[in-house]
Amino acid sequence: MGDASVLERLVADVIRQVRLRRAEFYGARGLLAGAIAGSMPLVFRETLGDLGYVLAAGLLLAGGLAGALYGFLLSVPVADAARIADRGYGLQDRVSTALEWGDRTDAGGLAGALVADAARRAEDVPRRRVVARRLPRSAKFIPVPLALGLALALAPPIPLPQGGLPNFSASTSDEDDEKDERVGKLEMDDRPKAAKRDPVTQRSEVQERTLTPRPGGGAPSQPGDLSALFKDTSLGGRAPDFNSFLKQGDERLKMLEQVDRLPDLAQDFTQRQSKMVFQKAKALQGGLNPGQFSPEKMRELLNEMERLGRRGGGSGGESGWGGDISEGMEALDQGQHDRAMQAMERALSKLRSMEDGGRDGKGLRGGREEAERRGAGRGRDRGAGQGGGMGDEGDFPEGEGSLPGRGTSPSAKGDATERLRGNPFDVGVEGEMRSGKKEGMDTNLVGKGVNMPSRLQYLGVIGQYRKMMEEAIAREQVPREYQEQVKGYFQSLDEK
Amino acid sequence: MPDVPVTEAQEQRVQGFVTAFQTLRAEVKKVIVGHDDVIGHVLAGLFAGGHVLLEGVPGLGKTLLIKTLAEGLELSFSRIQFTPDLMPGDIIGTNMIVEDADGRKHFQFQRGPIFAHILLADEINRATPKTQSALLEGMQEGCVTVSGVGHLLPAPFFVLATQNPIEMEGTYPLPEAQLDRFLFKLRVKYPALEQLVEIIDRTTRSREVDVRRVMTGAEVIGFRELIREVPIAGHVRDLASYLVLATHPQWERAPESTRRFVRYGASPRGAQALVLGAKVRALADGRYNVSTDDLRAMALPALRHRLILNFEGEAEGIDADRLLAELMEAAEQMATEGKEAFLR
Repeated sequence: MGDASVLERLVADVIRQVRLRRAEFYGARGLLAGAIAGSMPLVFRETLGDLGYVLAAGLLLAGGLAGALYGFLLSVPVADAARIADRGYGLQDRVSTALEWGDRTDAGGLAGALVADAARRAEDVPRRRVVARRLPRSAKFIPVPLALGLALALAPPIPLPQGGLPNFSASTSDEDDEKDERVGKLEMDDRPKAAKRDPVTQRSEVQERTLTPRPGGGAPSQPGDLSALFKDTSLGGRAPDFNSFLKQGDERLKMLEQVDRLPDLAQDFTQRQSKMVFQKAKALQGGLNPGQFSPEKMRELLNEMERLGRRGGGSGGESGWGGDISEGMEALDQGQHDRAMQAMERALSKLRSMEDGGRDGKGLRGGREEAERRGAGRGRDRGAGQGGGMGDEGDFPEGEGSLPGRGTSPSAKGDATERLRGNPFDVGVEGEMRSGKKEGMDTNLVGKGVNMPSRLQYLGVIGQYRKMMEEAIAREQVPREYQEQVKGYFQSLDEK
Repeated sequence: MPDVPVTEAQEQRVQGFVTAFQTLRAEVKKVIVGHDDVIGHVLAGLFAGGHVLLEGVPGLGKTLLIKTLAEGLELSFSRIQFTPDLMPGDIIGTNMIVEDADGRKHFQFQRGPIFAHILLADEINRATPKTQSALLEGMQEGCVTVSGVGHLLPAPFFVLATQNPIEMEGTYPLPEAQLDRFLFKLRVKYPALEQLVEIIDRTTRSREVDVRRVMTGAEVIGFRELIREVPIAGHVRDLASYLVLATHPQWERAPESTRRFVRYGASPRGAQALVLGAKVRALADGRYNVSTDDLRAMALPALRHRLILNFEGEAEGIDADRLLAELMEAAEQMATEGKEAFLR
């Protein structure tokens, strides 16, 4: 049958158009890649010379050609091409159906008439381009690498950086001599060189820095405290001397290994450590519910308090809160969190008393007042107290224990507990049904109180009711004629 | 490509169908003004071998359209006005005691109005579900069973039902199972201005319109067989499948609108209705193949009554026609996804 060849010719023409369009599409992509790659030899034109131009042009052309070739050689299924022909020429799927049914062995019925009809119509349609041109999105960026390449080609060659990285290794005098030879004498003369010092003098200087704090450098350092090393910024004004820098670095690293001697940077530069301890303790207590209690945090806090006690001298020892901390650690090890918490509170209380005492008159019971109290002896305090105190420490007299009504609470201070029923909105429980009339005062109203209706949480229950309604309708429990009314009702609620 | 024998007989059969289709349409249009789509779809339902449900407000000519169609065919016609007190026996028929010549009494089955080629079930949603279900067996199987005895219905058997969408008081909306039995559900809309003027001219004068009988039952059956021979390409069939599956909220590739608004999607019967309707449309257009345009044209009548919206869909007032239009676009994208991506 000659008719089928018309269809095949039509489809072949469409396949050719598709190949060309694909070649354009992938050619543009390849051109972009080639342009980017081609600008590289132009960057290294100083090294490559004129070869850079040749390489750049070659890469550009190769990219474009490779892309176009790839697109042209991609296979185009006949069925797809037939569909394009149907759409392009308005043949209403005649060609694709005819090609499919013409090949079928079980084709009968109207298949023959279909092929003949499709071929007749395919012969009548004027040939034209039915595949639209499509370019990749990246094609709009092609001018960028092209312009860059052109600029690189017209500009003088870019000088490439030369040389190596500086030598940071500790050098001996012999190595310095070798370096002198390598770099050259003139250059060495120009370079500012750190003065060579006697090693003994150098050690004494380091020691002096360690023991003598700089003026205005925060709290005075304790003997043996190496924080002076960190505060010393005098190195900044000196000529770079990598050897001494490395030596000092080694000392600092060694010092970091001695945890107990670590300088307290927080105390020096930010705030008092006792304050930080209070804050941490408050944060820990604030989140004290069984699910959030963290023994690790508590252990960390106790360690910090212990360290603070050691740094503070005797007050944190066994006579101060040291015993409480030891007890807290022991309780923590045994898993007795409540006991550990009590011990920590006691230690905190003592720590705060000490802090108050150190404020010289600013506190409620500090400075002179505290001194007088101490001078007057403990007997009076003991006489004033009526219960067992926290011990016989001078800074925490008897009668100020944790028993209710016996003075201040040892726990960390926080916001006052909100009064029950202090908020008018808290009167009653949300959603609780009340029987009978109940008068309540609304501070926003003037006059006699009105009946207080039960305030169900509207937004809390409307979704639940709506879901129940949907389920009821889905299960056909609501008659169809009433479904609209039910839906309308809930819609009106939504609108409100 | 192997040669496929072209027989002039095939082309003549197709040409005969095209002529008969257009003639019948012309006869109906002698009486009915406008409603070209509805007439075309009713004829498509007739030749596809299905039943058609017409929905529209009163006074739009639904019943007249069906009566006119019946007049144009040399087929028996009966009309049942559905009311709440209508009983299944009123439709199917009943066994009656009759006396023969010898004076002996015996039961004899008296056929009901369902035994006709064309059955107009007017206002079908006014009868009780029990009575509505009396039509089920006849519509699907082409026979009815009374007292354990099956009675074949005449072929071709074509049910045309009407229902009124606004008067819902005292009605019994068709259950989904029965709705699914209808090949198409057509919406009869108000006529346009010119059509209304024409209706006034035609119906307020004393001029009788004579509708000729242009087709016999045998011809209808012959055309029904011819319809099934129309070839359909693989990609067109795939599109129909995608469209039907796109109505299923459980399908993993279902569009968002389906997942959100649809409770149940179209059944395979919907896909059959879609393709059969498309075949009739193609052949009536003189084409020997089904195109994607045919599917688009038949998607609404074939699927709109098979979409069951969920609560959100009904509360939002989602129109099944608009939803289907969205799904058609989604199905076309799915059908061409991964193929011809660059070619289009």
